[in-house]
Amino acid sequence: MSPAKFAVAAVAMSISLTAFGAGTHGGGHGHSAKSGEPGKASEASRSITVEMYDNYYEPEIIEVKPGETVRFVVQNKGQLVHEFNIGTPDMHEAHQKEMRMMVEHGAIQGGKLNHDMMEMDMGNGQSMNHDDPNSVLLEPGDSQEVIWTFSGKGNIEFACNVPGHYQAGMYGEVNFN
Amino acid sequence: MKKTLVAGTLGLLLPAIGFAGEYNLTVDRVEIDTGEFVKQGVGYNRKSPGPVLRFKEGEEVSINVTNNLDEMTSIHWHGLILPFEQDGVPGISFPGIKPGETFTYKFPITQSGTYWFHSHSGFQEPEGAFGSIIIEPEGREPFRYDREYVVQLTDKHPHSSDRVMRNLKVTPDYYNRKQQTLGEFFSDASENGFLNTVKARLAWGGMRMMQADVEDLQGFTGMINGKSPKQNWTGLFEPGERIRLRFINSSAMTYFDIRIPGLEMTVVQADGNNVQPVNVDEFRIGVAETYDVIVRPKDEQAYTIFAESMGRSGYARATLAPEEGMEAPVPGLREPARLTMADMGGMPGMEHGDMGSANEMAEMPDMDHSNMKGMDHSTMMMSEGGASDPFYAKGSGLVPTAANGGKFLSYADLKAQKPLYEEREPAREIELRLTGNMERYTWSINGVKYEDADPIRLKYGERVRFKFVNETMMTHPMHLHGMWSILDVGAGQWNPIKHTVSVQPGTTVYMETEVDAPGQWAFHCHLTYHMAAGMFRKVIVEGGPESTQAASSEQPSEVGGDV
Repeated sequence: MSPAKFAVAAVAMSISLTAFGAGTHGGGHGHSAKSGEPGKASEASRSITVEMYDNYYEPEIIEVKPGETVRFVVQNKGQLVHEFNIGTPDMHEAHQKEMRMMVEHGAIQGGKLNHDMMEMDMGNGQSMNHDDPNSVLLEPGDSQEVIWTFSGKGNIEFACNVPGHYQAGMYGEVNFN
Repeated sequence: MKKTLVAGTLGLLLPAIGFAGEYNLTVDRVEIDTGEFVKQGVGYNRKSPGPVLRFKEGEEVSINVTNNLDEMTSIHWHGLILPFEQDGVPGISFPGIKPGETFTYKFPITQSGTYWFHSHSGFQEPEGAFGSIIIEPEGREPFRYDREYVVQLTDKHPHSSDRVMRNLKVTPDYYNRKQQTLGEFFSDASENGFLNTVKARLAWGGMRMMQADVEDLQGFTGMINGKSPKQNWTGLFEPGERIRLRFINSSAMTYFDIRIPGLEMTVVQADGNNVQPVNVDEFRIGVAETYDVIVRPKDEQAYTIFAESMGRSGYARATLAPEEGMEAPVPGLREPARLTMADMGGMPGMEHGDMGSANEMAEMPDMDHSNMKGMDHSTMMMSEGGASDPFYAKGSGLVPTAANGGKFLSYADLKAQKPLYEEREPAREIELRLTGNMERYTWSINGVKYEDADPIRLKYGERVRFKFVNETMMTHPMHLHGMWSILDVGAGQWNPIKHTVSVQPGTTVYMETEVDAPGQWAFHCHLTYHMAAGMFRKVIVEGGPESTQAASSEQPSEVGGDV
């Protein structure tokens, strides 16, 4: 990865941090640089469809090359809200606290997202908008894309951080080869 | 030769039914050693608890049960959906199994999850006649784990169950060591005023209940997988693994509050049915309930599984560790919960004018206890810390709180992972008042004990709504055989599906049942001595597909002639 690209990624992540209000969470997303950066569709070498069920992914293992840009087509085929989030286990753990807040405030209700609640001002200009570029949060039946450039080797998982889901095993491995 | 050929052909004709498994169980007298006392008991395959039976969804099981006792026995497959003749309740499903006899149970496995089995004859179950059942699903499960353990709890009492029952009948508070003392009376009096205290005591007396009746059987040793706290059952793990713990409460009388200090638990199943995962620090398991949790110990250290009885009179303890012999600290017992006036909110004939309503009691302003040294805060007429749970009376003294101040599981958190039935309006409501007279140790439903009661009649194909009104001061785990109990937690189609529903004192709980199993079934409080005292009903399901019962016995002659 070129230094310039890295800088862009870092800026993108920090913007998203502010928007999401993760500043209070001890820098969970601060490790983001390890997992990669948002990619451009034009650079995507291939497309991988990831189906989300209650509460697991298909597939549960994906193979990528360091530096590869992948277009993920993420489809929620379950009956509950699920997330597809690329990050390290530490990042996921930090994000789980935010997701718990979303559930406690009614932004995630079983099979529904309460968008009004997600946009509500939580103070300090923070909201529960779930708009990090490394993730999508989908209602049943919805589909969205994540284009991601993997930086290199590391302990990277894709995970659903809706409370209880990651703990119950809704994660997948990213293997570098 | 010809017979073999026919049998072979038959085998080819029936692959759609799935594979068949044969299992053998013997019912034996066993010795149970708690490390504190040794006791004669009943077990399966010469052990108590008996074996873990592993079935697969879709399997046709045959289970040969040989009775080596000198009395009748039976096995009930707790939570399994099966033809009523296979349900194992003497006098309702079948006559029972005579001494020396082998009875073969045969039924299809139509579900998956964690269940258990136990004798439904006399007091054999509290004497140790139980084991566990694990059913693997046909498809994948909605969660993942690297290893699993059954964690089967019981409350082993040094007295024989017959003796316990006799003692309870003669002196209902025989095993209640936590009765309020004269000293507490005076501390109550100094705090609440003499007259109020006398009035409160009179009210408790009038209800024929004692205020410390959270548990009517104390003095037991809590056991996990047949091991006492001293004997310390240990499950091994490698750090980072996800472990599925299948908790089963096979106690005669004891509810346990379970925690594993240092580990968050993700509840993924209740009573064998998958629930939307909930992260908790602690949960309460009612008698006969099961909860499956997933834990992920990341550190190379031991963790204590601590199961404290609801009344804090005893505990069970086990360990998760990377190696045999490692231990973690064992917490002390917390202060016992005490029932409050709110817990008797459901009592009929209460003089609310004199006492103040349950809610008023609950809202009583807190007092400054700082200058009352030695005061037992748990005798306060409100739950400490104002904890609330919609499944406990408002102001109840029984509302559980997590030892670490974190999340304690509530029934309200249980949501079905995948609804089993379409939601629809129930055809009718059946009210079941849970009633009893503590002073005479009689327990009943709608004031009538089993031997004097008419059966509850349901119609095949209907959906009924049961309304439980607990008019006693004790928690009753109500267990309907043969059909699911859809617990109303206010989640509509996501209401969880259970086989045992706990009804707390002073509360009303609703559950619905799709009447989809013909025949006759048992419906009772699963506290051994309450069931024996008469808190029990027979349920008769009228109508149903006429072919269901005849078909299975006719099939062989249709297909194979003389086979």
